[in-house]
Amino acid sequence: MNRVLPVLTVLAGIVVIWYAAAIWMNSTWVFDQANRAGTPVSWAEVIPQTMTQDRPLLPPPHQVGAELWKGLFGQAITSKRSLVYHGYVTFKGTMMGFGLGILAGVLLAMAIVRFRVMDMSVMPWAIISQTIPIVALAPMIITLSSQMGLSGRDLPKAVIAAYLSFFPVLVSMVKGLRAPDQMQLDLLKTYGASEMATFLKLRLPASMPYFFASLKVAVAASLVGTIVGELPTGAIEGLGARMLIGSQFGEPLIMWAALFAAAILAGLLILVVGFVERLARKRMGVPA
Amino acid sequence: MKRLITAAVLAATASAAQAEDVKLQLKWVTQAQFAGYYVAQDKGFYEEEGLNVTILPGGPDIAPTQVIAGGGADVIVEWMPAALAAREKGLPLVNIAQPFASSGMMLTCLKETGITSPADFPDKTLGVWFFGNEYPFLSWMSQLGLATDGSPGGVTVLKQGFNVDPLLQKQAACISTMTYNEYWQVIDAGLTPEDLVTFKYEDQGVATLEDGLYVLEDRLQDEAFQETMVKFVRASMKGWKYAEENPDEAAMIVLDNDQTGAQTETHQKRMMGEVAKLTAGSNGALDVAAAERTVASLLSEGSDPVITKAPEGAWTSMITDKALAE
Amino acid sequence: MTALWLAIGFWLAAWGVNVWLSGSRFGRTGPGRALVPILFGVTVLVLWEGLVRGLGIAGVILPAPSVIAARIAGSLPTLWQDFVQTILKGAIPGFLIGSGAAFLTAIAIDRSPFLQRGLLPIGNFVAALPIVGLAPILVMWFGFDWQSKAAVVVVMVFFPMLVNIVAGLQACDRMQRDLMSTWGASYLQSLVKLRLPAAMPFIFNGLKIASTLALIGAIVAEFFGSPIYGMGFRISTEVGRLGLDMVWATIAVAALAGSVFYGLITLIERWVTFWHPSQRH
Repeated sequence: MNRVLPVLTVLAGIVVIWYAAAIWMNSTWVFDQANRAGTPVSWAEVIPQTMTQDRPLLPPPHQVGAELWKGLFGQAITSKRSLVYHGYVTFKGTMMGFGLGILAGVLLAMAIVRFRVMDMSVMPWAIISQTIPIVALAPMIITLSSQMGLSGRDLPKAVIAAYLSFFPVLVSMVKGLRAPDQMQLDLLKTYGASEMATFLKLRLPASMPYFFASLKVAVAASLVGTIVGELPTGAIEGLGARMLIGSQFGEPLIMWAALFAAAILAGLLILVVGFVERLARKRMGVPA
Repeated sequence: MKRLITAAVLAATASAAQAEDVKLQLKWVTQAQFAGYYVAQDKGFYEEEGLNVTILPGGPDIAPTQVIAGGGADVIVEWMPAALAAREKGLPLVNIAQPFASSGMMLTCLKETGITSPADFPDKTLGVWFFGNEYPFLSWMSQLGLATDGSPGGVTVLKQGFNVDPLLQKQAACISTMTYNEYWQVIDAGLTPEDLVTFKYEDQGVATLEDGLYVLEDRLQDEAFQETMVKFVRASMKGWKYAEENPDEAAMIVLDNDQTGAQTETHQKRMMGEVAKLTAGSNGALDVAAAERTVASLLSEGSDPVITKAPEGAWTSMITDKALAE
Repeated sequence: MTALWLAIGFWLAAWGVNVWLSGSRFGRTGPGRALVPILFGVTVLVLWEGLVRGLGIAGVILPAPSVIAARIAGSLPTLWQDFVQTILKGAIPGFLIGSGAAFLTAIAIDRSPFLQRGLLPIGNFVAALPIVGLAPILVMWFGFDWQSKAAVVVVMVFFPMLVNIVAGLQACDRMQRDLMSTWGASYLQSLVKLRLPAAMPFIFNGLKIASTLALIGAIVAEFFGSPIYGMGFRISTEVGRLGLDMVWATIAVAALAGSVFYGLITLIERWVTFWHPSQRH
């Protein structure tokens, strides 16, 4: 109760602000229409009209909720109109990208902490790689992969997702692997510990809090990458594709529903990652 | 480049030996604009010709010209201005068929901005698509003598996204629309035709050829590929004619092929009806006069012409001649 | 094909030099430190050039670095105009407003455990959302010019920063906090003298992530409507025109701008968190 009440209060506040904003933003259109028709309207007439527009500037929560409900539970989950189905497509892409991203991030971080030449030559470029806007690279990734004979849309999507998600893992792991201070390192040296042992017994455990903290960011980045990847990779399926179609055909409700479906997916991913983190911490004896 | 061409030719011979696979890259997402191809696929017209056609939907980041350059497609749906521009950039695209006889592009303006004719454009904000679709607009503006860099007396150009919001939010006085798509979204949004003023490129004499079929020049020398394309064009045109006669069924076929599940029946049926008007005058063969008009319009653009010299061999009738012979 | 083999030869040689450099005394001096990554970068470019020339890759798929360099030299005014529009007007104001607001919010909810318990789970949740999806909506709301781009950046940057700052403010341990209170330190004193400094590594971590997000946000937003300049506009337009050299030229500018931005943050971090073990070399 102690934890739920504050969250509910804040949520209630958000919903109130949302409704107010919806009335305010959508009323412009009602007034404009009234002007064109030449009939004045009062606020009492405007408010109900802001709640039910087909293409509102900001759909009120109940409209989004209804559309989301329809998408999630209104049809068989295998139907292509089902948000569950598209969410699953996006989830698959996210997981592939996340896995690739973790692998790349951890391996690179290990190499960077171990080999000075890697640290000096690769680290600056890893940072620069993130400053390259992925939207620009997306079409190249698709073209190049189709030229290499990989016509599937999954791999380019996963590469884009991994491109975004490896970086937080890398940054945190480098920081984490370097977190043990000189005193601890010296202590292990006096024990005559090998480099491998130092790594396994000191550096790796010390990096774990950093690693898990980065996972949440990485999984979110991977989801962003997947959705960005679904926009340009032909808009075939997935939540990103639905956002694009919703935007193109002026169906804001489809767009918002896809956005919230993505939010729910993100929430589930974060919950799972958080759960894994707690498990791992307990297992490693790190105080939570 | 040479190696790439060899690779492409090799790939062509290889695929010809198999069950005649054809990969078609569309210019945009699955919608009734491409109904003919989906109908031909669904009704088995391709299969009757012994073709195994894969239709690849496009998207905002997919340039069909780049896809075909990378070997990701055998034939693409593209607009002639973009195809000619690519040709000047060294990608030898050739038009082999032109299912769209007339242009569906227009500029839709809000009447309340006071625009009644192109003479009212100066100092207004106009929305345009880019990504290869801006050429007809730029060449029109240059014929009107209007600068597009936002300088006084010219027009301010806004790159519009994928929807009609700039007009509805009054961020632009006019936006680009297609007769079969965006115009109706404006109407759907609650504006009436009386609130709007439209300028069709066709009526302004600046129309350029839209959705045509393009292939790489080198591959056309391969007879097996020619043969495949003849079959492909024949079946596609059969699909288009079927779609014109049965617009509702065609729209439903498109809807079945839309994997996003976000397209709606109303939109697609209406789009099909409008698209049918544009394809109605074409049997697939390119109207050379129209193509030359397109070239002239693109060449005439003032300071920054889309193409600098008239292209040679940018279209051929050898495919449609054979395809339409029977 | 010779070009390719030459490039591979260069790569191996450069790798050797780098290994030697990084182990040598010179590698620990300032210029040596800079030389290693530069050599690495040059190697990548040489390999790229060799691949493109050696394998005869068409310019409309992947232009060679030399072609891109020529394009950069030839279109400096355009690139500068795009840079001003996207980075100076879109990304940087958005970044400053977003992280500033996150900082103020973190401090505000730091004093109120109730709000903290309420806002933090929601902040955590929103930080994980694919905010880019909001880009078309924000463009619809704020118009097509730089304001909407800055708005996208603010929203993208805010929550990751908030989460990092809040986590940072809880970073110092109980003992240190108790020590502060035994000295009779006020809330403000303990915040400024202990908790904020202790939070700095987290804050800078957040700032670094935010700096890359800011760039992505500003560029993606231009995708959904923009004036006829700006880096996102340039990229999406030139891809359609097969002007791949211009696309890569813009990417190069974006990478350069992003790196300078990131470098500045790192410099400030070194200066602020000199005491942290990760800063020791």
